[in-house]
This record gives sequence, C-alpha cells and structure tokens, in this order.
Amino acid sequence: MKVTLAMKPAAKWFIPIEAESIVPKNFLSGTDLRVWRGNRELRLDEVFSVSVEGDADRAEDVEVVLSGDTFRLKRVGEYLDAGKITVLGGIGMHCGNFMSGGTIEIHGNADGWLGREMAGGTIVCRGDAADYCASGYRGGRKGMKGGTVEVFGRAGDFLAESLAGGTVIVHGDAGDMTGAEMRGGTLVVHGDCSRPAANMKDGSCYVYGTARGMIPTFKKIGTVQHDGRTLIRFSGDLANRGKGNLFVKGYEYLD
Amino acid sequence: MIVKDAVCPFCGCLCDDIEVEVEEGRVVAVTNACELGTTKFMGEKRMKNPILRVGDEWKDITYDEAVKYAADMLLAAERPLLYGWSGTHGEAQCVGVHMAELIHGVIDNTSSVCHGPSILAIQEVGHPGCTLGVVKNRADLVIYWGSNPIDAHPRHLSRYTRYAEGFFLENAFRDRKVIVVDVRKTESANIADEFIKIRPGGDYAVLSALRAIVQGKADTIPRTVAGVTREQLVRVANLCKSAKFGAVYFGLGLTMTQGKYKNIRNAIELVSELSRHTKFTISAMRGHYNVYGSNEVNTWMTGYPFGIDFSRGIAFYNPGETTAVDILARKECDAALIVGSDPAAHFPRKCLEHLAEIPVVQLDPYPNATTAFCNVQIPVAVTGIDAEGTAYRMDGVPIRTRRVLSSDYLSDEEVLARMYALMQEARER
Repeated sequence: MKVTLAMKPAAKWFIPIEAESIVPKNFLSGTDLRVWRGNRELRLDEVFSVSVEGDADRAEDVEVVLSGDTFRLKRVGEYLDAGKITVLGGIGMHCGNFMSGGTIEIHGNADGWLGREMAGGTIVCRGDAADYCASGYRGGRKGMKGGTVEVFGRAGDFLAESLAGGTVIVHGDAGDMTGAEMRGGTLVVHGDCSRPAANMKDGSCYVYGTARGMIPTFKKIGTVQHDGRTLIRFSGDLANRGKGNLFVKGYEYLD
Repeated sequence: MIVKDAVCPFCGCLCDDIEVEVEEGRVVAVTNACELGTTKFMGEKRMKNPILRVGDEWKDITYDEAVKYAADMLLAAERPLLYGWSGTHGEAQCVGVHMAELIHGVIDNTSSVCHGPSILAIQEVGHPGCTLGVVKNRADLVIYWGSNPIDAHPRHLSRYTRYAEGFFLENAFRDRKVIVVDVRKTESANIADEFIKIRPGGDYAVLSALRAIVQGKADTIPRTVAGVTREQLVRVANLCKSAKFGAVYFGLGLTMTQGKYKNIRNAIELVSELSRHTKFTISAMRGHYNVYGSNEVNTWMTGYPFGIDFSRGIAFYNPGETTAVDILARKECDAALIVGSDPAAHFPRKCLEHLAEIPVVQLDPYPNATTAFCNVQIPVAVTGIDAEGTAYRMDGVPIRTRRVLSSDYLSDEEVLARMYALMQEARER
C-alpha cells in the first residue's frame, strides 16, 4: 500500500504541525487521523491531499510518501516500528523519535533531533541534518541505542550526543560537540568536525577529516589502519575516566 | 519617611538591607544599594496609562480596554508566546502559567537567554550548590568564572566573598583567596589573587584539563590549553584541592559561549571531582532579581523550569525548540505577551522581525525598546517599589519584596488576573 500525503498551502504556514500520527501502521485502518497545528487539532485531510493506492495487512507493506512544504512538520515517524516513510523534500524536528524498526528516507534536509532516542531501524537523509541528529533528550543519560542513521550532507552541533548504541554515519562535515557524552555505539564523520567525543565514556568515534578544538584530555595511543586510511588513535575522555576510542585523520588543539 | 530593610529588585543578589527615603510619593534617597539598585529605586518617567497603537499613533486607553485587547489576542492565537517573567513577582508568574495552560500557549522566561544552559547542565549532572550565607561564612576560595561581579553584581563581593566577614574565617580578607577566570582582564580580575586568561571559546578545554589534573593526570595535558599554561593549571588545581571550602560562581561568559550547557556540565563535574578531595560548591550568578523565582514557579507548576509548550494541553519542554528566541526566529508563534523583560533590547534581529509582524502586548512600567513592537502596552507598578511579592535570590532563597511607596498603578498580578478571568469566561462560554 502506498499512501501519498501532499501538503496543502496554509494561511498560517509558519505555525508548526505536529504529526506523530503519520506512521505506516496507522494507515492500515484508514486515513481518519489527526494532526495538531499549534493548539488546534485538525483532520489529516485538512492539512494534506491524501491518496491511497493498493492495500496491505501489515505495516511492513505500507509506504507513506510526503511531499510539498513539509519542513515544519514535526514528529513524523515517531515510534515507527515497521514500514517505510519517504519524504521528498525536507522534514521538521523530531522525525523518527524513538523508532525501533522500519525505514525513513528523507530526500531534502532534516531539522533538529532527527532520530532522537531511536532504538532500531534505518534513517537515511540525503541532505543536511540540523543540530542534535541521533541524540538524546534533555537531561537524559542515553541517546540513540540502536539502528542506523546515515546523513549524506552535513550535520549540525551535538551530533549523536550521548550515543549509547547503533551506528551514525555523516558523509559531510559535522558541527561542534560531535559525539559529546558518547557511551557506546559507533560514530563516523567523513569530513571535519569540532571538539569530537567530549566527555566520552565508551564507544568509537571516527573523524576522517580534521578534529578542530581537540579536547586536551585524550591520550594518544598511536596510528591504526582503518578502511584504507591511516588514523591517529586516542583514548578517553580522561576527564570523565572514559575508555572510549577516538580515531582522527588530523587534529588541532585550541592552544 | 525612611523605609528600612527594603529589598532591592534589581539583580539576583536581592539585597535586603536597603534604606529608602520617600517624600511625597517619590523616592528621594537610597542608602546601602549599589549604583544599579539606586538607579532602579530612583527611576522616573513611567508610562501614565495603557496605550494602543492606531496606525502610526499611540492612543490612550483604559486598563479595561487594554486587558480585553490582550485576552482576545491570546484567545484567538494558534500558538501564543508568553515571554519574560523574570522582572516580576512570583504571584504574577503563577497567573502566567495558569494562563499559558488555559490558552494552550508557550511560556518561556529570560533564562532561555541567560542561565537556561545552566539548568540544562543541572538536569544532566545535578547541582552541588549552597546558599550565599554558607559561602560568606565558610569559603576560603572563591572562583568567578565568566562573570564580572564588580560591574554586574556589585555587592556580591562585599556581602558574600572578597570583602565580607566570615564566621569561620579568622581574617576573611586575608584568608579568602579569589580566582577570576575570563577572556579579558575585567575590573573583577584586578582584585583577584589569581587571574586565568582563557582564549575565547576555550572554557570547556580548560575545565576538562583541570578535571584531569585533579585526578593526577597532568602529564597527558598539552603545554598550553586555550592560552593557559599547564603550570598555571596545575597551580590552580592545587589551590582548589588545598582549600577547605571552595565556591565557584559562573556567569554568562560560561553559559552563553561556545558549547553553552556543556561548559556548565564540565564545571559541575570539576566541582564533583574536587569534592573527592575537599568541599566544593558551584552556583550561577543570576541576573534579573526574580529569574530564579520564575524557574521555581514554572517547575512546581509544570515540572519544567522554562520553555514550556502547552500547545497540546500537556507540558512539553525542549529548549532550542520551545524557547522564545527559537520560536521567534523560526516564526512559530502568532501572538506574544511580554511581561517583565525587554526582548527587543536583547534578542537577535531575526526574532524582532517576526515580533514586528504579530500582535504584541507588553506589561512594563516604562517605555522601552519593546514598546516599538507593541500593539498595546500596559504600565504596571514596580515590584519592590510600589508593589510587593515574592522573589527568589540567586541561591534559591525566597525573599518577600516590600512596597516602599503607594501608587495608583496595578501590579502585574492584578492586571494578569483580570486578563485570566476574561479568558476563563470566554472558555466557559
């Protein structure tokens, strides 16, 4: 079954819409769903032109396709456990919160908290991801615990903050405090980033470019070969009695 | 008439030993207060009555008309923003929270642009703090990090640290060491025993290095960290470890620079590390006299300290999304009520562009920068001068501010209560 949701133009286009009801399994029982624009509850068809092709008995066979100006659509794919969501443009904050299975593919950019606290499944973002991609929630001890997030563009600040499991791959550069408070999992940044793995406890962080503002409390171990690259291996964060691994191609201290 | 033991409604020190001389309904002299507090007590040129913008003109309106305008504006909005709250008393803040819940709006206070990051850090790793009195009587080492008390909290030094007597210190001025950490040599650095000059953006690295040094891992630290030599860091770490009681006070130099709440988290974790060797505490140098109170009121009423979004009827909290600067910069609200703050003087231009496009009502005794963005401004009594109510000092101690003179102005609480009553009526219909 393929559900296509095309965003309708709205007078108050600037008010964000919370649409945690947009997950494949909800469409097995029809399209009578609700979303919220600010403090107003609206029917799905007041916000989208809805069309459904084919039918399905299980969420795995449902694909939801979102089109139009969806960059202010928040919480799409929250608690996703099966099926697929395809976003043709950009997507708003908290896409794929807490997801445990299934796939989300975003062709444009993703706003903050993409895949926050996810436990499983796959997110692919073809554009850039904003701050707190694959991170945790405020005050939380653990961020993402499993699954895979792959961003083909750049990522913002606090990428994979408190990462506890799973894999995060960013093909472009990442921002400041990349992998802060990491306690598990694997983070790979193909480009440059700033202050990677600050206060890390455990896990592995790879930076194939340059680590700027390198945290001074990582101990240099030596060089290693990884995927045909020569990387410098550090252990830390000593300040946090951490036993994590940080691999960088190059690094600069703020000295 | 002289009013003794008045409470100064300027900064988070909330000094409660002020003497105010009042003659013919005006403050004519202030004793004990600092320059900042004196200026606030002596303030004149208040707005006389509520005003409404009509085209390019201001029209005088009554309180009833102004209150009705605000209530209608907020009831019609899909995502109203209720911002400010740090420059008013707790009783008014309570009405604000009830109002936000009733109209399903977003309520945020000024801590989202000052010590919000401190609260985020505290939510991650806790707050080993204490009251100002404990520091005054016990601390033999005080560190001001990214704060400049001589200019911003002038009496903090004389009442609690550098120039204060201490019950458990024989000669407080001699026995108490003061360390100042900043990116430039401030006035406060001039009276410190040790000054650490950090390259801008380097606080986090220096804090990490100090934590490692306190653990005995100095040999892994590079020769200089953000412009600070390893020798100085080792000396400072030893000073801290050999103190009997240390207190760290940090300001916006730490909360609002690169890394923000991670800086504070690192500072708190340094304090935890030092507390394995001696007694150490850490506290924020809060700005507005009742910003702490606003966090308290919000927390006991909603569970969250600032940036609370009631759009869906329940409290949702996510600074960076539900905080005023972010909402305005992203144009995510369609009406704003401003109470006890002046966002137009402090927010980025992008935020003000949206503020200019939506209806805005402000409660403030004086014309200010935000007046230019208002549709309606309602003058109110000043808490601590012609209104009274509860405020929280920077260390979390509630102090009831006093009324030193009477006036015809309504207090924030009275104006907000009238607004809230109209909203309740409308919602019941």
